[in-house]
Amino acid sequence: MNGIPWQLIGFASKFLERDERDAVLGDLQETNENTWRGFIDVFGLVFRRQAGLWKDPRPWLAGFVLALPCSYLLTTVSISVSCTYQRLVNHKVYGWHWPTGHEGYPLLLCHIFLLIAWSWCGGYIVGSISRRTLWASAILSVIPSVLSLHMYPSQSLPRLCLFLFLLPGIFGVRWGVRHAHISFRAASLLALTMTVLMICAWSNNALWILNWALILPAWYLVAAAWRSSRRAERGRDPWAMS
Amino acid sequence: MLGEFEYLLITVAAGLGENAYGAAIREEIESSTERRCSMGALYTTIDRLEKKGLLKTWMGEATPQRGGRAKRMVRVTAQGTHAAKEFYDAVMRVSRGASWAESRTGRTS
Repeated sequence: MNGIPWQLIGFASKFLERDERDAVLGDLQETNENTWRGFIDVFGLVFRRQAGLWKDPRPWLAGFVLALPCSYLLTTVSISVSCTYQRLVNHKVYGWHWPTGHEGYPLLLCHIFLLIAWSWCGGYIVGSISRRTLWASAILSVIPSVLSLHMYPSQSLPRLCLFLFLLPGIFGVRWGVRHAHISFRAASLLALTMTVLMICAWSNNALWILNWALILPAWYLVAAAWRSSRRAERGRDPWAMS
Repeated sequence: MLGEFEYLLITVAAGLGENAYGAAIREEIESSTERRCSMGALYTTIDRLEKKGLLKTWMGEATPQRGGRAKRMVRVTAQGTHAAKEFYDAVMRVSRGASWAESRTGRTS
């Protein structure tokens, strides 16, 4: 079980469920299969499994309705926050045309909080609704940032600024993948805080109209937490209808 | 009605009995049909048949020759046996009178 082909087989098999991975790798080892044929077999199985997953609407929803548009909006917010930070802290004027170009420290902090919260909520939903096609959602979520690199003047902000949303997004995905429970109260508090901060930013002309779409994952989280708390209550109540 | 490969898989699994699992089924199919059987076809068909209630699978024991990895054991359900019999009967019926089936069915056209 050594050598490059086996490493490739090991890598490809990571896309399979744990039990299936065990069964497949065990079969290959037991039958002493030719390693390249084994690789083609495992790759073929992974391909069939992945193709099967896309028959469900959830991977499409996670990738094309959530990850791609949210990351586009979050890329612009990342640039906007970086521009404002540079202007306020280092007194360098970049991107005066961005929505937050005129704001002060309170609005900057508000935007930083919103950037983290938007990214985390979006990541959580992507991770929870489509765990096994996460690779596709990950690729789609970096596309807007990578494309922006070409439109970005090299003399301007550090390129890392385009990816500020990625870290909280990854944390959100990790929570979502583990289906970590969020209480209804915590989810509501988060969504309400975000909505209030967005209204504040909006009333100060420091929010792009399309950014309102970024609140949807937070309210979806509230609905999901409410539904799971209702289910838990029903489970405790012996007279409840199933 | 079953497909050809589904019928093969159920028949081989039924023949192997308690020893029916991925690698054994695959080897048996390849030696009986003299055709290559890919893992992708095998495991996706097993899943499909399990969803239809024609097979039941579970993770079996791990053996040293498998590098300590478990087998995916397969058992044909009563519904699976019935579906395979239906397929077999249909093939036998449709084959009556076919030139290549004469020696087996004992009929002449």
